[in-house]
Amino acid sequence: MNMNITEVLSLDSVLVQREGNIASDMDGEKVMLNVKNGKYYNLGEVGGVIWEALASPVSLRQIAGKMQDIFEVPAELAQQDVIDFVQNLLNEDLVSIVSGP
Amino acid sequence: MAGTVQCHGYKAFGLQILSEFALPELPRTDQPGRIGSLSVVEGRLSERWEAISKITPNLGIAEHEVMFMVKGTAIFSIQNGSTITVSPAAGADPDSIRLFILGSCMGVVLMQKGILALHGSSLVLDNKAYALVGRSGAGKSTLASYLMDQGHLLVSDDVIPVLVHNGHPLAVPGYPQQKLWQQSLDYLGMNSSAYRPLFQRETKFAVPVHDRFQSEPLPLAGIFELSVVQDGQVAVEAISGLDRLHTLYNHTYQKALVDPMGVREWHFGLLASFVNRLPMYRLTRPEQGFSAPQQTEKIMETIMPKVKEMNL
Repeated sequence: MNMNITEVLSLDSVLVQREGNIASDMDGEKVMLNVKNGKYYNLGEVGGVIWEALASPVSLRQIAGKMQDIFEVPAELAQQDVIDFVQNLLNEDLVSIVSGP
Repeated sequence: MAGTVQCHGYKAFGLQILSEFALPELPRTDQPGRIGSLSVVEGRLSERWEAISKITPNLGIAEHEVMFMVKGTAIFSIQNGSTITVSPAAGADPDSIRLFILGSCMGVVLMQKGILALHGSSLVLDNKAYALVGRSGAGKSTLASYLMDQGHLLVSDDVIPVLVHNGHPLAVPGYPQQKLWQQSLDYLGMNSSAYRPLFQRETKFAVPVHDRFQSEPLPLAGIFELSVVQDGQVAVEAISGLDRLHTLYNHTYQKALVDPMGVREWHFGLLASFVNRLPMYRLTRPEQGFSAPQQTEKIMETIMPKVKEMNL
């Protein structure tokens, strides 16, 4: 069991991409390869934007703000989507927590 | 080399190959290839071989150069996708040297030039190129040979160069020869004594196929990954989603060099750029018996409905 799964993220959590992943564009969707374990991921269009935002340490609140602007969605929806998606990234060990919660 | 060395111009893999080594299985050309020209020269490499940093005892890699050594045959150096230098060992068999120039060296040249190469055979079916990939023993060569018997042209055998332009993959012809195992020849009722054995592979034979060769590139319209199941029957299923990226990586020619050569990011990006437009199927066959006819039937069933849809 991945220990990260017990981490609870909040809007003030700051995370960053882990190294060793190669991302590429596939018809507007972001696909990714974890070189270490050979796993492939399709992050989709929205996930791709979140992934790119995580290139340097950033809080989930900042990312949600960016999503709100790009996709023109209400703040609460953007925030929940970002938390859920980044939680998935964390469970897959693709990102790490810089500071939390 | 001295000016007395004769340089022949050959055509293969989309390249004009200017070679100091005779490559009799290749057609001649005096025109540059679609993806450029390549020189094959003889030279001393022992000092450079000592100096280059090694990945394995027989493989060295520098920024624009890959070197490998085959004991008793030669040291090879492939630079910038434009020059292959060969330093033959004393008494080396020319057939063996040629095998490595046209196989391993070409794979490196293509990768250095930023051209994807798949490991398998590609044939013309319904006026488009289809690739047959799969592990050794999966039956690529046998099926390819059967399809050629049915009148389908060979685009390339073993190394399939794939040019990608605006997300559209194009299969580039190799050269008009097929390598066949003894068992494949038996199945197909060919007499192996008529063909010269490939060096050090007494049971593998080179079969010239000049009259059944597609010499111009064609759109790559699909990939069939062949596999064997112990008690199964001939069956086909679509490969979907990210499994398709993995399949392409798996069947990349000399995939073990992708990371050491530092081209993983390029490779992944290239696959992602066209994988969505390339249908892929897994074609299984039983371990026992000759099933090329049933496999062919399945392949045709799979690709032909698409043609009908387009004609509507």
